[in-house]
Amino acid sequence: MNVAQLLNGLAAGSLFMILSSGLAMIYGLRGVANFAHGALYMAGGYLAYSVASHLSFWPALLIAPFGLAVIGAVLELLFFRRLQHRSHIETGLVTFGIAMILERVIVLIWGERTLSVAPPPGLDRTISLLGVDYPIYRLFVIGIALTLTAALVGWLRFTRIGLHIRAASHDVETSAILGINVDRVSLVVVCLGAALAGLAGTLAAPYVSLQPGMGAVILINVLIIVVVGGVGSIGGAMGAGMALGVLQTLGAVWAPIVAVLVPYVALVVVLVWRPTGLTGRRI
Amino acid sequence: MRRGLIHALGALLIGGAVGACGSSGTGVSAENQTIKIAIIPPSTGALAEFGSAAAQAWEYAVAEVNAAGGVDGQKVELITMETDAQPATTLRAAREAVTQKGAAFIGAVMTSPEHGALNRQLEGLNALSFNSLGKDDALTGKDCRPNAFRVVQSTRMDLNALGQMLDELPGKKWAIQAVDYSTGHTSAEIFKEAAKRAGKEVVFEKYAPLNTTDFGPYISELRDSDADALFAVEYGADGVAFVNQLAQFKLIDRFKTVLGFNMVSEPLFKALGDKIVGFYNNVGYDVNADNELNRKFVKGFQEKYGEQPYYVHADNYLAAQTLFAGIKAARSADPGKVREALEDLTFDSIVGKVTMRGADHQLLRPSYLGQVVKEGDGLAFKVIASADAAQTSPQPDPACRMR
Repeated sequence: MNVAQLLNGLAAGSLFMILSSGLAMIYGLRGVANFAHGALYMAGGYLAYSVASHLSFWPALLIAPFGLAVIGAVLELLFFRRLQHRSHIETGLVTFGIAMILERVIVLIWGERTLSVAPPPGLDRTISLLGVDYPIYRLFVIGIALTLTAALVGWLRFTRIGLHIRAASHDVETSAILGINVDRVSLVVVCLGAALAGLAGTLAAPYVSLQPGMGAVILINVLIIVVVGGVGSIGGAMGAGMALGVLQTLGAVWAPIVAVLVPYVALVVVLVWRPTGLTGRRI
Repeated sequence: MRRGLIHALGALLIGGAVGACGSSGTGVSAENQTIKIAIIPPSTGALAEFGSAAAQAWEYAVAEVNAAGGVDGQKVELITMETDAQPATTLRAAREAVTQKGAAFIGAVMTSPEHGALNRQLEGLNALSFNSLGKDDALTGKDCRPNAFRVVQSTRMDLNALGQMLDELPGKKWAIQAVDYSTGHTSAEIFKEAAKRAGKEVVFEKYAPLNTTDFGPYISELRDSDADALFAVEYGADGVAFVNQLAQFKLIDRFKTVLGFNMVSEPLFKALGDKIVGFYNNVGYDVNADNELNRKFVKGFQEKYGEQPYYVHADNYLAAQTLFAGIKAARSADPGKVREALEDLTFDSIVGKVTMRGADHQLLRPSYLGQVVKEGDGLAFKVIASADAAQTSPQPDPACRMR
């Protein structure tokens, strides 16, 4: 595997990392199997398209995640909070319905045609790395993902709100008794998870094409990553996301048809060998 | 017991009455002076935009023909059904349209797998299907059916046209990047045969699964090859991602020719942008074709919808033209009579004089090679070469045995 292919794997894994960390956060810390996560990613991409068309790509990096955080707040206040005593399946079905509605609304607003976003000036060139010309934009995506990983882990580990979030994810009732405002914690978690989906969509917009099926295409992979990483483990999901990106790139180089099967094989192996996932614990 | 017998007879009578009211797969619509056509375009997912275009074209054709007094004196009614482009969904929609809504003709079905599944049911439904989008060779080959007619060019027809023009395209060492799908592999095989005839060499061949979003691994390998020309078969959103990422790797300028097959098309011009100026691609429909019917169609369509028609509009309008020509020739809207009338029927259309070949129900029409050029603020195809059906499909597929 040469340098370019390694970087391709890291770039693909970076998008998976950002997207799956949001889903792992919502499930692990809020207990909601969010089947609307692919639709949130799609919404982020389309929102970024509009912002980039009217302003430029750089404001989209802030506006799209913020917009998705607002959608996340709506989801938490209107749906998740009211369904918190219902079964996972019921809540999951509700999010599935939300996904279908959201995807349809996106098509009604932006139309059915495939759209794309150009990388911003400065990132639309290649750079020579170890003898290989490589697109700067992909390096930018890798950089954002790694920075975000460090920031997210640090925020959860070393801040007060991070402590409250970790406590509530272990035992929400005891956390409430101890004075943690669990409603506020839940709201922060869902908003952040949705914002991460929006950020992934924004970063993906110059990379992939925006089309009505893009949310559904990526959702399965992201759900598998969360299970493989360890349900409830953000670090596990991030690690699994990066590993899947690299493995799929390897597969595409050696046997493309195998690359498609990698997530499913990984899921079966992990469920049989280590059902709690690779980390087997929460972070 | 007598009461039971009376109940059973009553149920039989009611069932028979309901059946007589609902059943219309036997050309009842013809007797009722209304020709009912069901269109089943995809309304969700990545193909939805093409589904909308297909529906627009049928609506336009039906409105036009009704304004002129109908077909053979009969008004036409369009029944729009929904599908997600999965064969099972489309089949259910087709059955409902025929058995409950009285349709005798079906159009706007999108993909080849849907057509393959639908075609097997047409005789049982006593309905005819007009395929304007599914290009798989097998639909007029081993999977041909008496009640199925194809108006769009088959994959092989388009590739034969490209193959004949290959020696005019710059580039000696060709790379093939295709979708890992039946059409992708078929396209690559035909291209390799044509390249050999034209004295070109294929130095790279790679297939990406459908719905691939990251082409980085393929592009990196492509860059490491010594290809100076590229033949690409990536569809829709995959094609847009591939071309955009090819540009990000700064690889487009390296190729003397980029030849797409069903990759670059008018709906994707905005998403692809000026980077595709100079790209070649097969063109199924020439919007500037110089015949009266086409000029009238383009003008009328533009006035009604505010945009020029592209190939999806044109091929679906042509499907409608074909059906109407069959009804006029048969002087009846009975599916059986229309089927017989269509076989080897020659008629004038927006793509010139065409013939529906009886042996395989493939419409014989020209195929084109186009190059993307700047036109005003946007892009357009400039047709630079054409091949007629005698060159692209001189004989029917011997595998077709009409049952």
